[in-house]
Amino acid sequence: METAALKEQLKKQIVEFLNLLSVKPEDIKDDEPLFGEGLGLDSIDSLELIVLLGREYGIDIKDPKEGRKILVDVNTMVAYIEKHRTK
Amino acid sequence: MLYIHQSTCISAQQTFLDVDINTLHEAVDNKLKVIEPTYESIPPGILRRMGKVVRIGIGAALPLIRQATSLDGFIIGTANGGMEDCIKFLNQIIQYEEGVLTPGSFVQSTPNAIAGQLGLFTKNKGYNITHVHRGLAFENAIIDAIMLLTDHPGNNYLLGAVDEISAYNYNIEMLSGWYKKEPATCKELYQTNSIGSIAGESAVAFLINGDQANAVAQIVAVDHIHTSDISIIENQLKYLLQHYLLAGEKIDILLSGENGDNRLLKYYAAIENITADTTVARFKHMTGEYATASAFAVWLACELFQTQHIPAHIVKNQTSEKSIKNILIYNNYKGAQHSFILLKKEN
Amino acid sequence: MSRIVVTGIGVISAIGNTVAENRTALQEGKCGITSLSLFPSRYAGLMPFGEIKITTQELQERLNAKEPGVTRTSLLALHAFVEAIQDSKLSDKDMRCFDTALIGASTVGGMCLTDELYSDANKSDKGSDYLASYDFASVNIYLQERYKMAGIVNTINTACSSSANAIMYGVRLIKSGRAKRAIVGGVDCLAKFTINGFNALHILSPDICTPFDEQRKGLNLGEGAAFLVLEKEEDAKDKKIYAVVSGYCNCNDSFHPSSLSDEGDGPYLSMKGALESANLSAGDISFINAHGTATENNDMVESKAMLRLFDTIPSFASTKSNTGHTLGAAGAIEAVYSILNLTYQEIYPGLNCKEPIAATGLLPVQTYQKRALQHIMSNSFGFGGNCTSLIFSTI
Repeated sequence: METAALKEQLKKQIVEFLNLLSVKPEDIKDDEPLFGEGLGLDSIDSLELIVLLGREYGIDIKDPKEGRKILVDVNTMVAYIEKHRTK
Repeated sequence: MLYIHQSTCISAQQTFLDVDINTLHEAVDNKLKVIEPTYESIPPGILRRMGKVVRIGIGAALPLIRQATSLDGFIIGTANGGMEDCIKFLNQIIQYEEGVLTPGSFVQSTPNAIAGQLGLFTKNKGYNITHVHRGLAFENAIIDAIMLLTDHPGNNYLLGAVDEISAYNYNIEMLSGWYKKEPATCKELYQTNSIGSIAGESAVAFLINGDQANAVAQIVAVDHIHTSDISIIENQLKYLLQHYLLAGEKIDILLSGENGDNRLLKYYAAIENITADTTVARFKHMTGEYATASAFAVWLACELFQTQHIPAHIVKNQTSEKSIKNILIYNNYKGAQHSFILLKKEN
Repeated sequence: MSRIVVTGIGVISAIGNTVAENRTALQEGKCGITSLSLFPSRYAGLMPFGEIKITTQELQERLNAKEPGVTRTSLLALHAFVEAIQDSKLSDKDMRCFDTALIGASTVGGMCLTDELYSDANKSDKGSDYLASYDFASVNIYLQERYKMAGIVNTINTACSSSANAIMYGVRLIKSGRAKRAIVGGVDCLAKFTINGFNALHILSPDICTPFDEQRKGLNLGEGAAFLVLEKEEDAKDKKIYAVVSGYCNCNDSFHPSSLSDEGDGPYLSMKGALESANLSAGDISFINAHGTATENNDMVESKAMLRLFDTIPSFASTKSNTGHTLGAAGAIEAVYSILNLTYQEIYPGLNCKEPIAATGLLPVQTYQKRALQHIMSNSFGFGGNCTSLIFSTI
C-alpha cells in the first residue's frame, strides 16, 4: 500500500476505534501530535491504539512505554507500520 | 433532614428540560428507552468515551451542578452501572480468547465510573460513593445522604440514580421471567394479567442539603426490607406511618411501583389496603421496570408537589381533589426487595 | 459519642483460610502468589495470581452451601462471614433482628462466571442456574437469605476501595442509630473479567509483585474475602474487643478514570481526613497498611502523598505482596491485618522490595517485629479516583 493511502486508512481507523465524535479523518494532520495539545488523546487511548496496531496490522507492542515513541503522530505510526506490519 | 432543592430526570418520557408528563411516550418492543439530550455542555473528547449509563448520568447531573453554588460530593445508586460496556468487554474476552483487548470499555463498565466521572468532570474531591444493592441501590444512597446531612447540615450533595437497558441484562431478565414475553404497551401495562413487566431505564439527579428554605420537598423517611412475607411489609408501613406522619396528617398520594407483573399484585393490594382512602397513582408505565425506578418516582413526586396536578394516565383511583402535601412511594423489586419513601411538600 | 469497636473478624485469602492461618503466614512472610492451578485462563502460565487453592465444589461441601446458582464469590464471602460472626458469638436471634446490618462490597460479584454470563446474555432459549447471581448485590443477598437477616443490607462498589467504604458505612449506620451492630466486609474472586481488564491496562506484573520497589512491574490479582463485626463499645462489654474503628475518610482524586494524580491529592486528602475524624495528628500513626499495589502509578503517588502528610513517615508495608490485589476484598482483608497488628502488637514484613523508589527513598518494613502500636492507618485507592483511609486503634 502507498504511504498516502495507508495514512488515510489509519486516520479513519483512529477516528473509528477511539470514537472521536467531532473529528473527521481528513482533518487530522500527518504531523499533528496525537497526545496532549493536538488531538488531546490520553493514556487509555494510547493502550487502545496499541490494540489497533495489533488487530489491524499484526504488530505486537508489549511495553506501553515503547508505544509512546511510536504513537507521536500519524507520520510516526505509519513509518512504524510500514516497517513492522505482519498483515 | 434531607431537603430536595432541584431535580432532573432523563427518562423515556419528556422529563428533561421542557417537562411534559401529560403525554405518554409508548414503549418500543417492550422497552422504554430514554430520550437522550444532546449533551452540548460535555466536551466531545470526554463524551466519546462514555457508555450510555455514564452519559445519561452525567447529562442529568450537569444542569444541577451548574446551579449549585458549592458541592460537597456525589452519592450514586446503580444496580449494574455500565452494562453495555460490560458486555462489550465480555464479548471481547470471548471473541479474542483473552487476547489483546481494549481497556476503555473495562474502565467504563465499573459501576463507580458514573460518580467517578462526575468527580473528575467537576474537579470535586469530596465524598464520592456508589451503592449497587440491586433494587435498593437508590434507597441505600438516600440513607447515606441523610446520614451525611445529619453530620454536615450545611453541605450540598448530588444524589442520583442511573440504570440502563442493555442487551446483557435484557436477555438475562427475560430468561428469568421478569420481562413480558408477549408484546405489551404502556397504556395497557396494568391490564395484561401475565408475568413480567416492560424494560426501562433512567438517570435521575437531585440537589440536596439540610436547608429547608426554598426546598421543593423533604425526604421524611426511607425504609427497606428484603422479604416475601406480606405481613412483615404491612407492619413496616404501619410503623413508618405512625412514626413519621404528624398527628392529623395523611398520605395524599400513594405512588405505587405496580409494574404489570401479576405475581406481585398481592403486595401492592396489601399496601393499598393500609392507605385506604388515598389517591393511588402508578409510574412504571412511564419508565418500565429496572432496579432504580424508585428514583424516577421521587422525581415524579417533586413534580407533583410543584405542579399540584396529577396527569390522568398515572391515576389508578382518585379519592379527592385536594392539595398534594404528603406522598408515599412503595416500590417492590422482583417480589423480594421492598422500599418505602415518604416525601413531604415544602414551600 | 460511643466508640465503634470490632468484636469479630474472619478472613480467607491466598495465604490462609482463617484469621489464625493468615496471621501465621504474615509472621513468616509467606507469599501466596503462585501460578494458577484451579482457575482456567489463558494467563495461567504467563503470570502469577493470589489464588485460593480450594475448589468451588470443595467450598460448597465444607460450607454446606449447595444451593443452585451459588457462585465462588458468594462462597468465599460466606467462609469469612461465618468465621467473623462465630468469633463475635452472634446468636441466630442477633442475626435475624432488624438492627443487625450487613454491608458488603464486591467489584466482580457473579461476573466470575464469564462463560455462563456470556451465554445467558447472548442466548434466548434457556437460562442457566446463575441468572440471579451475576450482579454485585447477589453475594450479600445470598448471605442475607441464608441467615434470614432483617436489618439494612447494602452493597457498595467503589472499585478497589469498596470494602473500606463498606466498613466506613457500617460505622456510620451504627453511629446514626440505624443499626445496633453491622457486619461489614468485602469479597472478590478471580475472574476473566478483571484479569483481562487489568491486563488491557498493562498493569499486571508477569512476576510476583514488588510493592514500593523501584523496579516494580505491576500488580498481581488475588482473591479473598474478609468480614468484621462492628458494635458500640457499650454493647460489647462482655465481648472480646479487638480494636476501635477510630477514623475514616472517603474522598475523590478527580484526576483520571484509572490512575492517580501526580501529587496524590486523593490519597493525601483521605489520609488527612481520616486523621481529622479520629482527632489524631500525623505523628500518632504507628504503622500504615499501604494500598501498595505495586503499579508504577500507585506506589509512587501513595509515597508522595505520605511524604506530604507525615513529617516522619511511619513504618509501612503492603500486604498485597502476600495476597495479591483482591480488589473489592482488599480494604476488609487489610483491615483484619491491621487489627492483627494491634491485637498482637506486631508488624509483618512487606515482601520483595529490594530497591526503594529513587524519587522517594521509602522502604517498607523488611522484617517481622514486635512493636508498641496504638493507631494503624489502612489505605485503599481505586479506579474512578475513589480513595478511602481508615484508622484502627487499640482499645
